[in-house]
Amino acid sequence: MNIRAFTGIDPFPDWADAILAQIAFNIQLPPSLHAKAVSRYEAVRRHLEATTFFADGIEHFYPQGSMAIDATISTRGTDDEYDIDIIAQLAAKYRQLGPLGVLKALEAALADYPVQMVIRQTRCVTLIYGDRMHLDISAAFREHGTQERRSHIMHAKGPNRSSEDCEVPTNAYGFVELYKARTPVETAVSDAFRRRWDDHDRLRADADVDDVPNQTPFVVKNMATLALQLVKRYRNITHDRKRRAGRMAPSILLADYASRSSSPGRTLSDALISLCNLLIADIRRASMLGRTLSVFNATWDQDEFTDRWPESIEQQNAFADDLLHLVTVVSLIREGKLDPVDVPNGLRRLFGDFVVTEAIRKTAQELGGNIQQGNQGYTRTGGILVPAAAAASTLAVSRAAAAPVSGSRHTFFGDPV
Amino acid sequence: MALLPYSIREQVASMRATWPSFGNQMVGEDAVVWRGPLKPLMRTYDIAITYRTDYVISGPRVRVISPPLTRLPDNPEGSLPHVYNRDRDPFMCLFDPAKYEWSGWDLISETTVPWAIDWLACYEFWLMTGIWEGGGRHPPLTGTRHNVENHR
Repeated sequence: MNIRAFTGIDPFPDWADAILAQIAFNIQLPPSLHAKAVSRYEAVRRHLEATTFFADGIEHFYPQGSMAIDATISTRGTDDEYDIDIIAQLAAKYRQLGPLGVLKALEAALADYPVQMVIRQTRCVTLIYGDRMHLDISAAFREHGTQERRSHIMHAKGPNRSSEDCEVPTNAYGFVELYKARTPVETAVSDAFRRRWDDHDRLRADADVDDVPNQTPFVVKNMATLALQLVKRYRNITHDRKRRAGRMAPSILLADYASRSSSPGRTLSDALISLCNLLIADIRRASMLGRTLSVFNATWDQDEFTDRWPESIEQQNAFADDLLHLVTVVSLIREGKLDPVDVPNGLRRLFGDFVVTEAIRKTAQELGGNIQQGNQGYTRTGGILVPAAAAASTLAVSRAAAAPVSGSRHTFFGDPV
Repeated sequence: MALLPYSIREQVASMRATWPSFGNQMVGEDAVVWRGPLKPLMRTYDIAITYRTDYVISGPRVRVISPPLTRLPDNPEGSLPHVYNRDRDPFMCLFDPAKYEWSGWDLISETTVPWAIDWLACYEFWLMTGIWEGGGRHPPLTGTRHNVENHR
């Protein structure tokens, strides 16, 4: 598939986008864990293929969902748990086992796998590692002769066979390809995040000489994916904070809306608000018609993203209200309508304590550092640009808007404390 | 360096060219007050800059007219950092007099205004984190500078 690249906007020279981008940075799957996740799922495949039961029976073993679109974030309220979703495409001969039989066979093959826990779920088998990474492995059968890679995954609650056991249509692979096509790389975004990671990695290496340098590149492709990660983080935090029971809006649904609302060249806050507004509008329309939201994979109209969520109109309305709150707070912050004193707590309620505190601290330090070094620039309306060179190169600040004054070093003084 | 510092008239002309959103009012022949908006990051501040010919060493006085400055009691940097006259009518302290960073031979448009923007940007993040990240220093408690100047 032909994937184009756009310039986009470096989010860091704008203070509000800088904080949001730094929050997104703080919840990324670090390259070391990305590499670990890849090596783990490759090891799981080797393990399965070494078993008598699945020898020569695995046709494909590939990441789906967040891992496949580089949108993995730390899960729930914690800052160091990561869920990785894998599709194990099996040979057709296993299909006769039925959904529960396939899931149980997968569970049995992984029973002695060296992880903390192996759990058979309704649609996958989860491996829980000691470092709290989760690997969800879904067994799938390809519908040969159809568009790449339309498949069915197994659905069975167990422990006994049930009339509700079934095969669920999916085309995770097709969706990933579509997502990539809809959300092209924005080079200013990916370059800004790569520089940030290099700086972060260098600081980390300086602090701990025994740490093995990361060889895996740090990948952030575009604003749409950053917005998706922020919405997922917000969904997780809000679900925990409000002690909600039941399922959360599925990540693949949010990814679908992120890709549909994507428009290269947007600011991060614009991308975030656009994603939310598109989803809010669809939920409100469905609720008005007395229906729950119904969204299908554009690469297979039998693959429904909303088959398990929303369970009710009330549930979707509650999520739409949550999203509206997110839009309201982000809008207030970027328009300067929230008292600066209240900004940290406003953001902490959205995205969690630690990542927000760290993001604001880092943004403040960068601003202060640039001022101390005289690296700042100004706009004619009395705005500050840090660092001046990077800010001036963004599309957000036109040459005409820049003040003809350059930053200079000076020492704040004052009355004794 | 020129023999004489910039005159009030020259300072006004430079301010008009560089910061056209600032208006000015002459106060007699030897003083001027500029008023205008600055929006460093989050909020727009109405700023007043007062300059007189006898401020040629102490520097212009920059006050925030609105919104009212927020104080953080018990903050290690003081309830409002890097100002003079903190408890009555604070004005920004934008340079260290001991380092000779400003004199009347400098243009206010190129120093005081940008430095006031720096101050406001640091102030906004100070409100969020409680830490002043813009550097600077505080004089020792025995410091006496501006005891006179603090009287308006």
